[in-house]
Amino acid sequence: MINPYLPLPVKVQKITIENETKDLKTFDLEFCDKNDAEWFKYTCGQFAELSLLGIGEVPIGIASSPMDNRILQFTVKRYPIGVVSSTLHNLSEGDTIGIRGPFGNGFPMKDFEGSNLAIIGGGFALTTLRSLTKYIIHEKNRSRFGEITIMVAARDPGEMLYKYDLEEWSKREDIKLIRTIDREVDGWTGKVGFAAPVLKEISPSSGNAYAIVCGPPIMIKTCIAVLLELGFKASQIFNSLEMRMKCGIGKCGRCNIGSKYVCKDGPVFSYTQLEKLPQEY
Amino acid sequence: MIEEKIIKKNRLNAMLQELSKEYSIYIPAGENGDFRFCELRDTNDELVFWDYRNTRISPKEILFPHSEILYEFSRDESHQFSISQNNDDQRKMKNVILGIRPCDARAIGFLDRVFIGEPNERFVDPYYLKRRIHTIIISLACNRPQISCFCTSLNGRPDGEEGADIIAFDIGEEILLKTVTEKGKEFIKESSKWLGNVKKSDIDKKNKIFKESAKRINSRVSVEKVKEKLDDSFEADFWNEIHRKCLGCGICTFLCSTCHCFDITDETSADRGKRIKCWDSCMYPLFTLHASGHNPRPNYKERMRQRIMHKFNYCPENFKELFCVGCGRCIRNCPVNLDIREVINQVSQLK
Amino acid sequence: MMKEIETRIKEVVKDLFTQNKIDLFIGYSKGSLPLTSSPCFITKSEDIEKLVWNSFCSNNLAVYLPRIFNPQPRKKEKIELPRIGILAKGCDARSIVVLIKEHQIARDNVFILGIVCQGMGDRKKIRNDIEITGAEEKNGRITIVDENKKEIELKREELLSDCCIECQHATPPIHDILIESGNQRPAAPKGGGRDFEKKSIEDRWNLFQEEISKCIRCYACRQACPNCYCRECFADQTKPRWIGVTDHISDVMFYQIGRIFHQAGRCVDCGACVRACPMGIDLRVFTHKLVRDAKELFDYEAGVFLEEGLLLATFKPEDKQEFISEP
Ligand code: SF4
Ligand code: SF4
Ligand code: SF4
Ligand code: SF4
Ligand code: FES
Repeated sequence: MINPYLPLPVKVQKITIENETKDLKTFDLEFCDKNDAEWFKYTCGQFAELSLLGIGEVPIGIASSPMDNRILQFTVKRYPIGVVSSTLHNLSEGDTIGIRGPFGNGFPMKDFEGSNLAIIGGGFALTTLRSLTKYIIHEKNRSRFGEITIMVAARDPGEMLYKYDLEEWSKREDIKLIRTIDREVDGWTGKVGFAAPVLKEISPSSGNAYAIVCGPPIMIKTCIAVLLELGFKASQIFNSLEMRMKCGIGKCGRCNIGSKYVCKDGPVFSYTQLEKLPQEY
Repeated sequence: MIEEKIIKKNRLNAMLQELSKEYSIYIPAGENGDFRFCELRDTNDELVFWDYRNTRISPKEILFPHSEILYEFSRDESHQFSISQNNDDQRKMKNVILGIRPCDARAIGFLDRVFIGEPNERFVDPYYLKRRIHTIIISLACNRPQISCFCTSLNGRPDGEEGADIIAFDIGEEILLKTVTEKGKEFIKESSKWLGNVKKSDIDKKNKIFKESAKRINSRVSVEKVKEKLDDSFEADFWNEIHRKCLGCGICTFLCSTCHCFDITDETSADRGKRIKCWDSCMYPLFTLHASGHNPRPNYKERMRQRIMHKFNYCPENFKELFCVGCGRCIRNCPVNLDIREVINQVSQLK
Repeated sequence: MMKEIETRIKEVVKDLFTQNKIDLFIGYSKGSLPLTSSPCFITKSEDIEKLVWNSFCSNNLAVYLPRIFNPQPRKKEKIELPRIGILAKGCDARSIVVLIKEHQIARDNVFILGIVCQGMGDRKKIRNDIEITGAEEKNGRITIVDENKKEIELKREELLSDCCIECQHATPPIHDILIESGNQRPAAPKGGGRDFEKKSIEDRWNLFQEEISKCIRCYACRQACPNCYCRECFADQTKPRWIGVTDHISDVMFYQIGRIFHQAGRCVDCGACVRACPMGIDLRVFTHKLVRDAKELFDYEAGVFLEEGLLLATFKPEDKQEFISEP
């Protein structure tokens, strides 16, 4: 019998501090048992419960790409009242933790194929968008997708996630990468301004395209308004939501928005779906 | 083919004592009208629950206990964890629930849909399944409904069969057992040496007592429009008023036979610990509190709305069933008399 | 008598609304089951007719005040505090006093309509196997009707809650208007509920364990208690987690001991926790011990004098110390 409550053991291979505030760390995890890796086949946009025995669990979007061999990556923000996230931040390389999943629906990759993609991420919500981007630009997949525009917004340069990836992406011809920060900083070469106005400035075309927006609620709201203005239809806009979660399998009853469970029916929703759901997230 | 058998009340205990070698047998136990499901003890006392009305806590606690250990773990000197799933006593996994009321039997059918209703095994709760799969439900038709019982408004009946494997009718000196499912038939076959054949007079007696039993329930609400009304009422003003006297105590959800929200937490001492699944309630503020401090349901209003919506809108959407069986527990036990029938009535009248 | 008080309540509330003195009145309306009343929030004068007064207006209404004055989650902007009228029996008013002293209530925004209480009934005093289908109260007698239409006549006194039987403060110690109730009930003889104290320590412990073993950790006792207004109860804290979450006796005990002891010098013996408990646990046996200790050791009764300091926040050189070593 499958036991979805049982975590699989993984080893922490590497810990990367992502930002200057040092409250964001990326964990590279490897399954202790190779067979578990087989079981844990995931798609872009899914999440997992990181499980610390004796402490608890925390749901985190998968930041690595399904194309990455064996290594799973998660970027975790430490919150003062979050017991699990604080404990995770105190881990060392070589420690063993547990993982449950993968959970959730993930991005509709089949639909995305053959289309142009505008990937818009703000602050700490870049995690699953990174998974998505890495997957798409993989040499085996790139030809199946159209033009790619990536916009990353952060408060200041020090808070920008995955600088190493952004550096690499910026060198590629087949990606249009825009980085923006809230306020002018010496030596900054990217754009300055909030996500929505910058998005308007770069105006990705809505023809044969999908837009995927992740970020703080206010950014999502303003960016969606811009996208609609640019001619995107609600069905062309996707969103990944965050909720308090425990079980991950639609049982414990705390992650619902209306009749939809974010852990099972989400976390990815099209704006068409979101419009029908109550504003309770 | 439905089968009907009969057993003398005073023989029943002997039969159960024998069955208890193989099954855990749960019966309503208590005094002064205050009952709770308990495992049958090894005694020759006659069973006394024939007249009981209903238990305070719903019998869901047998299949979905207040707290259960998911697994235990320990840590060795090198800080490596190992997990052990407890190897349950197999006998404990075979249950007979005897004397459950028809409304609660129906509710177990609802819980089945939530916990084990998915075809995809990844979405099945193995703990519930392990108990449920070997559980025989013998319900006991009601001859004395309470004034807070309103099962007949919610597609139930005091002699309703849904959810039961066998339904029992108290016809005086004897109990008439009627099979509902294959599982029930199998069980009757196994216990045949204790059971007698029904006579026409027994059936007549049963019909006389129970045919009209539904009519004895005077409390009625109209639920026909509830789901539909709630579809467009998320922002209705009504929610600003209805929650006002609620204390957020969660009694209505803990005692409810269909409520099924739970929490998962860890308990540790030194180098060992356990992960525990335990009841939780949408009426509690911490239920949806994010680690960031944000809470999508910060107040009594949103939490009351969630409870009502979940039962009367979201579940009908997901499971095609209103998640209330009209057992009336929340009505009898709410400390501020916030009556769910009143809420249903108000919803029905929403514009 | 009850009817006259009810009429008087309605008059007062009507005046309060017409003179625009309050935005909200908290009183009682008819309950949906026999022998119940239900807390009721009146915001417009048309609804005043819903108000009732009878022998089952037992909820302690003070429980609603802290959450109105300190709404959660905390708002950034300063909120306009509503003006609230509230019906208060002796115990409700004592709770209000405690809450004022603990700075949970803006006194100026509360209009207290005090009632000299005759004691409230408890439907749990009637055996659970009697199905009460109707009830009527007249001239100090309560007639209940069972499912077979049989009438059972009871004296009001037979149904009184334990806390009401022993109540020493039927008159609200604080009020803006007081409704007398005529034939004053003589204060109960002091010294009730000593059975618990007479027991040996071991027996007390056993009784405690036995009672609370029924607990399902719903926290209704906490939610019904006006004193339990903590923004974050110790029982809910996760960092650190003080107590386990299961219904195992060892976890339950920690919760119960924690909550009960937080009532030391604060409990007004209103019985709200006992009435709320769905498992019929008599929590009052234990809270009442604290009430008596406060009285006997420090001559202190919670919520009686507004001017007096809080028991646990005042130190007097002559304070007794025995309790530290002698339970
Ligand atoms: S039992 Fe009553 S007071 Fe308690 S949470 Fe439910 S509705 Fe609110
Ligand atoms: S909502 Fe109330 S009446 Fe309905 S099933 Fe639950 S406890 Fe019973
Ligand atoms: S609600 Fe109906 S089925 Fe349930 S106990 Fe009452 S009469 Fe029986
Ligand atoms: S109300 Fe009763 S059952 Fe609920 S937590 Fe308090 S003592 Fe336990
Ligand atoms: S996390 Fe439990 S239902 Fe979604």
